[in-house]
Amino acid sequence: MQGEHDDTELEEELRRAAARFDPVPGELLRAAASVFTWRTIDAELAELVFDSLVDHDEVSLVRGPAERRLLSFQAGQLSIDLEVTSTASGRGLVGQLVPARQASVEIRAGDSAIFVEADELGRFRAGPVPPGPMSLRCSPAAAEPGPAVVTDWVPI
Amino acid sequence: MADTDASDLVGAALGGDEASWEALVQRYSGLVWSVARGYRLGAADAADVFQTTWLRLTENLSRISNPGQVGAWLATTARHEALRIARGVTRMVPADEATLVALGLVDDYSPERAALDAEQAKLDADRAARLWHAFGELSARCRALLRVLISTPPPSYAEVAAALDIPVGSIGPTRARCLRRLLERLTGKVSETASRTHDEDE
Repeated sequence: MQGEHDDTELEEELRRAAARFDPVPGELLRAAASVFTWRTIDAELAELVFDSLVDHDEVSLVRGPAERRLLSFQAGQLSIDLEVTSTASGRGLVGQLVPARQASVEIRAGDSAIFVEADELGRFRAGPVPPGPMSLRCSPAAAEPGPAVVTDWVPI
Repeated sequence: MADTDASDLVGAALGGDEASWEALVQRYSGLVWSVARGYRLGAADAADVFQTTWLRLTENLSRISNPGQVGAWLATTARHEALRIARGVTRMVPADEATLVALGLVDDYSPERAALDAEQAKLDADRAARLWHAFGELSARCRALLRVLISTPPPSYAEVAAALDIPVGSIGPTRARCLRRLLERLTGKVSETASRTHDEDE
């Protein structure tokens, strides 16, 4: 019968094997250390409330084409709907702020950010955006009320 | 003790202290990585889970209700992201080869293959490789639990419970049973097909 002492020893041996065969990649460690600069301290968080990749739409039985993904974020009364498409060079984004408002939209992805403007109907588009984790930061235009909003990070 | 420490680090990071953030990354990266790997995600998907989890923490430093449990928060977040990717049939399209090369993740990982490669070099002289190979053959449930338990530094049971969404009380007995299965495989006390059927039943 295997005792607790033997179990602990086997677990330690397995821990060493994991460290050898499946360590955290060094690049990822460095990347995680550096993302500290991405943090925002003055914005409201818009949480991911819908993702067509995992949330099933009970109403429509027909699934959309797989290469078109819909995401929806919510912060208070504001929602940000996003359609993500795949292109040869990355991801294409088409977004809509509801209720409609003009805003500066910063798309944070990879090591950099892309800046676009949402028009008076709250629409914006951008691309190509590199695949991987992405977050939007929306700053309302000067004439519009309300705080800046950042979305949850989502890999696209 | 470790808990107070973690909440101090979160507090200092929130105040803008980069060294405290790096300390958090050092302490919990192994745990976050093990959650993604425990769900059998390939290198690129596991990298997405890992990066997304840390990025989410940057936006939630001030919103975590119990900063002392930041490890459990990270484990839970990594589990949610791993499940999202696993359920979403992974990425819509594979990332460019160039991106993967840049990340050093070009080869798609499997514990079996990693072990086989090592075995080829040194045949069965290498017990670590045989152990890792045996680990790769365990049931999905055993692999997921053990992979998190063997992350470095060793996680707390609260963190393991959060990583797998299981009660803390079930960890001990399952761990003992999975380690027994591992030992059986390692010592060849069990025949391939018989144990595979048995494992899947659990």
